[in-house]
Amino acid sequence: MEDVYMGIDVGSISTKGVIITKENKILSSEYIWTEGNPIGAVKKLVRLLEKQFDKENYRIVATGTTGSARKLVGTVLSATVVKNEITAHAVGTTTFHPDVRTILEIGGQDSKIILVENGVAVDYAMNTLCAAGTGAFLSSQSARLGIPVEDMGEIAVKSQHPTQIAARCTVFAESDLVHKIQVGHTKEDIVAGLCQAVVGNYLNNVGKGKKIQSPVVFQGGVSKNIGVVKAFENQLGCPIIVDPDGHLMGAIGAAILARRNKERRVFNFDVEDMEFITREINCGGCPNNCEIICVYRNGEMIDSWGNRCERGDVAARKAANPNAAAV
Amino acid sequence: MDEIRMPKAEYNHHEMVVGIPRSLLYFRYGVLWERFFQELGVKTITSAPTNLKIMTNGSRRAASEMCLAMKIYMGHVESLIGKCDYILVPRILDFGLRRVMCVNFEALPDVVSNIFFESPIRVLSYNIDVSKKLDERRAMVEMAVSMGFSHGKSNKAYKKARKAQNEADSRAVKQNEAKYKNDGITLVLAGHSYILEDEYIGKPIMQYLNENGVNVVRADLVDRKAALRESERLSPTLKWELSREIVGSLVMHVHDFDGVVLLSVYPCALDSMVNDMMLRKNRITHVPILQMTLDAQTGTAGVETRLESFLDILKMRKEVEAGNGREAEA
Repeated sequence: MEDVYMGIDVGSISTKGVIITKENKILSSEYIWTEGNPIGAVKKLVRLLEKQFDKENYRIVATGTTGSARKLVGTVLSATVVKNEITAHAVGTTTFHPDVRTILEIGGQDSKIILVENGVAVDYAMNTLCAAGTGAFLSSQSARLGIPVEDMGEIAVKSQHPTQIAARCTVFAESDLVHKIQVGHTKEDIVAGLCQAVVGNYLNNVGKGKKIQSPVVFQGGVSKNIGVVKAFENQLGCPIIVDPDGHLMGAIGAAILARRNKERRVFNFDVEDMEFITREINCGGCPNNCEIICVYRNGEMIDSWGNRCERGDVAARKAANPNAAAV
Repeated sequence: MDEIRMPKAEYNHHEMVVGIPRSLLYFRYGVLWERFFQELGVKTITSAPTNLKIMTNGSRRAASEMCLAMKIYMGHVESLIGKCDYILVPRILDFGLRRVMCVNFEALPDVVSNIFFESPIRVLSYNIDVSKKLDERRAMVEMAVSMGFSHGKSNKAYKKARKAQNEADSRAVKQNEAKYKNDGITLVLAGHSYILEDEYIGKPIMQYLNENGVNVVRADLVDRKAALRESERLSPTLKWELSREIVGSLVMHVHDFDGVVLLSVYPCALDSMVNDMMLRKNRITHVPILQMTLDAQTGTAGVETRLESFLDILKMRKEVEAGNGREAEA
């Protein structure tokens, strides 16, 4: 029986999971859409991972979660490590590309840049609290153009004269886009323009003041768009590496972090049969009126968060067990 | 400003209460204001620390283009309605050449009296404007004289109040600067005092960092004279007093910290330019910088993700510098 490690990355758009060995060999991996339901997605993911998994010879001894739903999913899976996606991505990528100097990442609602020196992340930047120039921007524009977001890259590379589009803000970009369509720009040029705009926006905001050195690895959902990859190569003047497992790097990083951590807890796939629900309550203990998230497993509250002070814990306990609080 | 100041006859010193909003320059002049009125024998009331209700009410009152700090200020003013007769809203334009304040502080008394024109409050103001030879002492004494106090008494009250504020400032600076010598990861929070000290938006960030074992030092608590001088090394043309203090503070201590968090509120005109300049000029020093812009959102996930990952990076970087190389595999 060999000990292995599971990493789960639950993003706003997609949910990724891997099970890796001590030697970073991927035993099973899966990539599904989150569809606005992180708990449902993770249960489905675990079921899919289990199908590929050899329970006779391996056992999962530690679980790491990352991504924007890491806390919720970490509670559901009783994870041993809950880590932010930037650290997880840096750890995952430097394991597979030890010589990398710059990691570019554009995901569904976040974009970030990580600078690496000697295999260790030394600096990074992330988009401020606005989703301009991320995957969300591309998918909303693809809906407007009536092109599936997966096909945008192929269409973009056909263009000879990419249209100039302002990508500073989704709202402005949209009105710019509509105008350009109406005056007669072709679809290829507009899609190519969108890809250029994403890159320009990224380099001017997230990449501002950062020295981008080769080798450059590009990952996140948008890295599957060849149009954006080509636009990066044009603007940076260096080759861009897109790892076929790039979308799994966060999950792999989470698994590696779980392995490095000392805590061990055997995971035996029983979450599929449990029922998890979340409820939002308002504390009401003071004018802040914090929104507290309570997580229930089979009707029993297992965790809560979101409160700014200890008054919120009382409110959460009250919500978990109304009779006990009255005593 | 004269039209805002009330004629002396209307004042009754024993019954009048002056409201002080716990926002914006309160964190810079709070001691001065409270002591000044105390010396004159005028009662004051300070609004409660910012909470969600104050922020929401303020956002409703304020114009949509105002920065979050201004919106919060309006919430504080509103919370004082009915509890006082006057609200202290100074107008501070500048302290000399290339020492101007943000235009918001220049407009503040007019903005407040216009936003709250239907409310039963009156704005009490003093006017600092160096081109008109109105420094802080003259401005505050003139305000007290207009309230019916003698020139001598006002002057004396100012002197005592200024002394108390200076003492409080140097105590805070000494305490803050001593932290540069602490062990562990030293992180500088660079932002205006009214953001860092705000109970609802800034304090949770400081608390988060402290809970995660970081040695947090504030950039704004610094020997102001020295900081103004040092800021010229980064930019000889920077003209905003508050920005120059923060920039100068970072220049002075550039070898004493491991990273900087630039904390600003949306949309701050000063920070949008100054922070951008610092990010671009940072190519020389290569200090890790995290830029964070706060808005009126109640979710803390985005903030926590950014802070947590920034701390991870600082730790990893420190391990490399210490020669440990990569983390040992378990």
